[in-house]
Amino acid sequence: MGHPCGTRVEKEANVSLQSLALLHRPLGWGLVALLLGSVSASTAIAQDTPIEGGTLVYLEQQAHTNLYPPAGGFYPNSGILNQITDKLTWQNPATLEIEPWLAESWQTNADATEYVFKLRPGVTFSDGTPLDAAAVAKNFDTFGLGNKDLGYPVAEAINNYQGSEVIDPLTVKFTFKAAAPGFLQATSVIGSGIVAPSVLEQPYDELGDATKIIGSGPFVVENEVLGQSLNLKVREDYAWGPPNIGHTGRAYLDGIQLIVTPEDSVRIGALLSGQADFIRQIQAYDEAQVEAQGYLIHSAPTRGVNNNVTFRPENPIVADIKVRQALTAATNAGEIVSTLFSAHYPQATSVIASTAAGYVDLSDKLAFDPEKAKALLDKAGWVVGADGIREKDGVKLELSAYESLPQPQNRATLQLLSQQWAAVGAKLNVLAGDSGSAIQDNLDPLKTPLRPAMVGRADPDVIKSNFYPTNRDSLLQKGGTNPNATWEDPALNELLLAIAAEPDTKRRLELTADVQAYLLDQAYVIPIFEEPQVFAGAPYVRGIGFDAVARPSFYNVWLAPR
Amino acid sequence: MTTTIATRFGQAVLVLLLAFTASFLLLQALPGDAILIKYQNPEMGLSPEQIAGIRLRYGADAPIWAQYGNTLVNFLQGSFGYSVQAGVPVNTVLAANAWPTLRLASLGVVVAVLLAGLVAFAATLAPFNWLRNALQMVPSLMISVPVFWLGIMLIQLFSFRLRLVPIINPSEFQALILPVATLAVPIAAPLAQILIRSLDEIETQPFVAVARAKGASRRFVLWHHVLRNALLPVLTIAGVLFGELLAGAVVTETVFGINGLGRVTEQAVSNQDTAVLQAIVVLAALGFVLINLFVDLLAPLIDPRLNRPVGATA
Repeated sequence: MGHPCGTRVEKEANVSLQSLALLHRPLGWGLVALLLGSVSASTAIAQDTPIEGGTLVYLEQQAHTNLYPPAGGFYPNSGILNQITDKLTWQNPATLEIEPWLAESWQTNADATEYVFKLRPGVTFSDGTPLDAAAVAKNFDTFGLGNKDLGYPVAEAINNYQGSEVIDPLTVKFTFKAAAPGFLQATSVIGSGIVAPSVLEQPYDELGDATKIIGSGPFVVENEVLGQSLNLKVREDYAWGPPNIGHTGRAYLDGIQLIVTPEDSVRIGALLSGQADFIRQIQAYDEAQVEAQGYLIHSAPTRGVNNNVTFRPENPIVADIKVRQALTAATNAGEIVSTLFSAHYPQATSVIASTAAGYVDLSDKLAFDPEKAKALLDKAGWVVGADGIREKDGVKLELSAYESLPQPQNRATLQLLSQQWAAVGAKLNVLAGDSGSAIQDNLDPLKTPLRPAMVGRADPDVIKSNFYPTNRDSLLQKGGTNPNATWEDPALNELLLAIAAEPDTKRRLELTADVQAYLLDQAYVIPIFEEPQVFAGAPYVRGIGFDAVARPSFYNVWLAPR
Repeated sequence: MTTTIATRFGQAVLVLLLAFTASFLLLQALPGDAILIKYQNPEMGLSPEQIAGIRLRYGADAPIWAQYGNTLVNFLQGSFGYSVQAGVPVNTVLAANAWPTLRLASLGVVVAVLLAGLVAFAATLAPFNWLRNALQMVPSLMISVPVFWLGIMLIQLFSFRLRLVPIINPSEFQALILPVATLAVPIAAPLAQILIRSLDEIETQPFVAVARAKGASRRFVLWHHVLRNALLPVLTIAGVLFGELLAGAVVTETVFGINGLGRVTEQAVSNQDTAVLQAIVVLAALGFVLINLFVDLLAPLIDPRLNRPVGATA
């Protein structure tokens, strides 16, 4: 699976021009170099006969934490898990269809409470044990139910799980307490990698040791220097790649050397000076210098809930829908994207990304209109005070939010938002603090009336993941993470549950459209941009692929002669 | 001598216990904790009940005195608990990181001492007055350079531009060059400054004039008479510099992306990984105690006057 390179490179060139112009840099030679770079990069990709061999040096920004597969939501974890584990199914990133992988076929009953998977024969874990129905059952029992004694939490992607049954060595059946239409997609996500049953018998606290993770993937953990580097070695006898990924045999690379390099400038410098082949996490302002030297930016969409700020209506100021609507109208997402980001960060047009399942274009609900914002605030009784900040009954229209460190340039985003809101008389304080204070304050709607958030997952369930009280609970509803919460929106929760339980795909997408409109009509959330994961690679690194939520896969990667 | 050492040992244990207790109390006083930070993270996707279960399992909500007692007993048995963030026992974290830091730090000290001596002697012996003055300002410059900036500049220049030392996949020797240089500069600065000052001071003492009057060259006097007398304040400050070394390691290891206690500390602080921090505080306290003991035992060898009982000099 490759990128549609021609159009992508063109787009990148446009963006880089824009961003160059924005930075008031002299164009001239930079521009020429850039165009040459793009051209040579796109022609280089045209010739495609993979070569076996070589080790890819991959620089990661952060060390991995726990490698229990459901902890794969954390990017550094998934960068490893995606190479060493396989999943029952493969979500084709181009079509978002679910295709066979470890499972050759599957059946579901009409109300989506029973799933039967027929496994591919002959698959083994890297320790030689067979990947059979019992192993798969053990995995999903742990993912779906957790394991209190050993400390395993339940996986986010798996809802309503009841149990498993091994029908024959290659057939396994899963049953659910209630309809679980998202389960088939959940078997394809990064959190559902299948590991050897022996892995799941170890204490959860010890799974930070990568050498203990035995999977069936195309690579095997060879050795690890904790917190610094990890060597992956190809599995010679691997023969069960997803049918539509390009090839099914062993990976082309002999190995991958993953090195944790926290410093942005060191990762980029190492790539450009030929010391590394592929790096994760490039800020938008660094993209131009990478492309100027003919290196490639790989931006992968996360296909989930967009980068946004979410209100906590429990807070008396934002409890008023007019205030939330006014702040939505006062937000100029286009300016944020063009000032701080690049074309790899499309402006949001709905709660979820335009590449997400069930997306509908709701950009008319997100129009930037400061006059409308002022009118709404006037109507809601907020009067401009002497210092330019609106007041009502002696209370200032002053809100606070903590920056979210994992999100790209979140501090700058919030600061620009703060300027935009100031133009209509609302004050936004951008807080930074130690993670302990941030997490505690983020549970208190009085201290943090809004919070930046995003979730990546290519299934309509993602909206429930972000907003439902017992999931990520962005709105801080009653019954969720804030023990003192009294506010809830039963209509919203009903809609969210309906999506998670609707077995009919068409009806499910309709409900997804409804919930997007509902969230924006209630102005609970201000989507800003579609958050990508941005990687950069040397021009001779070919065949890089991403799963549906931007996790890199090195299975197809090969190194062309330099 | 035995009583002195026994007293010192008792003091050391007391210092360690106090460091342990103080760090325990401070970490408890911080808002939030490691479990909150790791598991409340939306990327983990856990429900409130699951988080409550995890807290119960870690004993995170037990009364503070019970947690204190448990941790202390475990420490005494050599068990430092689990790193919540890294998902491995703290012992594993320390084992993987202690040696690289120790090597980096000791090489850093050696290079710093050489560098300080070089600067100090150059500043004292240089031919022209203006040159001596200029050289005397070098330590102030060295201490004003931020470590992270120096590190990044060294990498940019020597690794990316001149391509002399790779930063990714270097050989064991190459891997040490730039980090050791980065770490040595801020350590060398105060050493050089104090050495210059005390060389100047000692040079004005009558015995130096006597030695010079006997016909010894300035260089000979400096080397044979002045240096030994000037070393004592430097040795004392070296004990204090251990702290600087730890702080330098935090930045150096992060910038260079190398393993070590400094980087572990940085991550443990930002994640409030209490078990790791607790172990590092005690380890650092132990380092301080050992270095100061070493300095106290070494001082009388350099200056025998220190060995005499206090009353005898009166």
